Amino acid sequence: MNINRLAWVNIISNPFNTILSLLLMTFGVGIISILLLLNDHIEQQFQNNLKGIDMVVGAKGSPLQLILSSIYHIDNPTGNISYKEADKLTKNPMVDFTIPLSYGDSYNGFRIVGTTSEYLELYKANLSAGKIWEQSMQVVIGSLVAETNQLKIGDNFYGTHGLNNDGHVHDENTYKVVGILKKSNSTIDKLIITDIVSVWEIHNGQIDENHSDHQHHHKHNDNNHKHHDRIDKISTNDLYSSDEFMITCMLVKFKSPVGLIKLPREVNETTNLQAAIPIFEINRLTNLLGFGVQTINLIALIIILVAGLSIFISLYNSLKKRRYELALIRVHGATKWQLIKLVFLEGLTLSFLGTIFGLIISRLILFITPILANQIQIMNSFGFGVITDELWLFLIALFIGLLASLIPSILTYKINIPKILSNE
Amino acid sequence: MLKSSSITFTYDGVNKFNFPDIQLQKGENLLVLGESGVGKTTLIQILAGLLKSDSGKVEFCNTDYNKLSTKEMDQFRGKHIGMIFQKPHFVRNLNILDNLLLSLYLSKNRQDKNLAIQLLKEIGLGNKLKSKPNHLSQGEQQRAAIALSVIKSPDLILADEPTSSLDDANCQKIIALLKDQAKKTASQLIIITHDNRLKSQFNKSITL
Repeated sequence: MNINRLAWVNIISNPFNTILSLLLMTFGVGIISILLLLNDHIEQQFQNNLKGIDMVVGAKGSPLQLILSSIYHIDNPTGNISYKEADKLTKNPMVDFTIPLSYGDSYNGFRIVGTTSEYLELYKANLSAGKIWEQSMQVVIGSLVAETNQLKIGDNFYGTHGLNNDGHVHDENTYKVVGILKKSNSTIDKLIITDIVSVWEIHNGQIDENHSDHQHHHKHNDNNHKHHDRIDKISTNDLYSSDEFMITCMLVKFKSPVGLIKLPREVNETTNLQAAIPIFEINRLTNLLGFGVQTINLIALIIILVAGLSIFISLYNSLKKRRYELALIRVHGATKWQLIKLVFLEGLTLSFLGTIFGLIISRLILFITPILANQIQIMNSFGFGVITDELWLFLIALFIGLLASLIPSILTYKINIPKILSNE
Repeated sequence: MLKSSSITFTYDGVNKFNFPDIQLQKGENLLVLGESGVGKTTLIQILAGLLKSDSGKVEFCNTDYNKLSTKEMDQFRGKHIGMIFQKPHFVRNLNILDNLLLSLYLSKNRQDKNLAIQLLKEIGLGNKLKSKPNHLSQGEQQRAAIALSVIKSPDLILADEPTSSLDDANCQKIIALLKDQAKKTASQLIIITHDNRLKSQFNKSITL
């Protein structure tokens, strides 16, 4: 028997108050912890996928939409642009390199992106099997695409027009899987990547590349394919210089930050294209999200404060009931400090346990929710370690527990033993 | 041995208590008789070091109370003095056995579980070891309170009206038990009471 055990016995002897305090503390800490983990995860995802892209050029529209669709592949494209016009940037002395992207089709909800092999280099993507495409209609798929659709090297599939499953199926052209990428925890995991010519080809017509294995019978009555009749056979080189070659956007990397000041404005003012700066848009987005997060954080903080209040009230009430008991403990030889230790231990144990439960529950919820939502892929990239902000949360919760014990412990210190013993 | 001299105490500056000097040799017990309002509880709290007298001196085990700090007094009391109150009091969340062990812990004695069980058996509470204090009858509580004060073998047991709420039969039993336990642990016993039934039980008594 000692003061620690006595504190613990007192806590468990008062189950209703204890459960109330613990629940409030657990909920408050849990909510904040979930938000902190999600926020951290989202920010990391946004940062990870930037890969040093300084600017994206695409069709006029919302710059945020352009960034979300071109870098993160989570929004619809803003429209098409002429490759020839966009490619002028490549020759600009301030530009290090550019990568064209063409997208708009999908397979089972996974986006098909036409690009060049530089895109894979940008993401430092490594193949876990197979090889990179050598001709059009060959694809390299991200690890998540392979896993979810059970695709293997040599498998064929049709692309669907649009980014949902309900679009027109391009059943005239089959894609063939030639490579599978290693898991990288970036956007590329969920992409089907192919030569930029493939995407153009599906929508416009076949390129003459003398590949006999690729019999093409392109019959269509789709309005999207209006260019088909005019250019049916065209060589790759001609295609790049053709006015008809449309892409969705172009990723641009500058040689120096000076480009950031000059080029976007130049593009926006002198061409039909729109230039958007990823880092600006992402900051804008996280600020918008941040506002919501802060509001919920504030509510959760209030819950934690109420938890502190609940601890205070339960300590204060039991103290009033136990005045004689505390006097008795002093008579038995306890010092004032031992009594104060007793009160603080009770308050701190409650807030400590509540905080730990909160941190555990937030992880359980983040662990279970994706499984319930049948989206295990989100899980894979979640880290479950304690993040720095949570350490602060931990300290704040303990501090509130400390604060809640302060007044009861002062009352304990000032306890007038002779008076209590005389007025039994 | 216990020695107090010219102790005075006042609560409000109007009613001043002047207590008679007490001298108690080792092995002696003392009965202090007095009607309500003569400062019985005040005297026992001064002897326990819970109240500081306005003037005068208390000396016990060669220690002058006036020379001890609050903390030292707490520890001195824990080690040397056991107290029994008119109404028995316990730490309500702990069972009887744990209450005894807590008393041993606070007085810095070894927490000898066998000793505590032995003592509870002696006073007829052998089957109540794990009972919470409020599940005990009044008589059992009074006996448990005695166990609580003697478990640490104090040099002095101070009992404040230990029998006032008991009938004659129980009164005799409790006093016999108290004297018996005090003898076993070689403790001196001071009982402060208005209960004249106890007068015949003690050789030495003073009246306030």
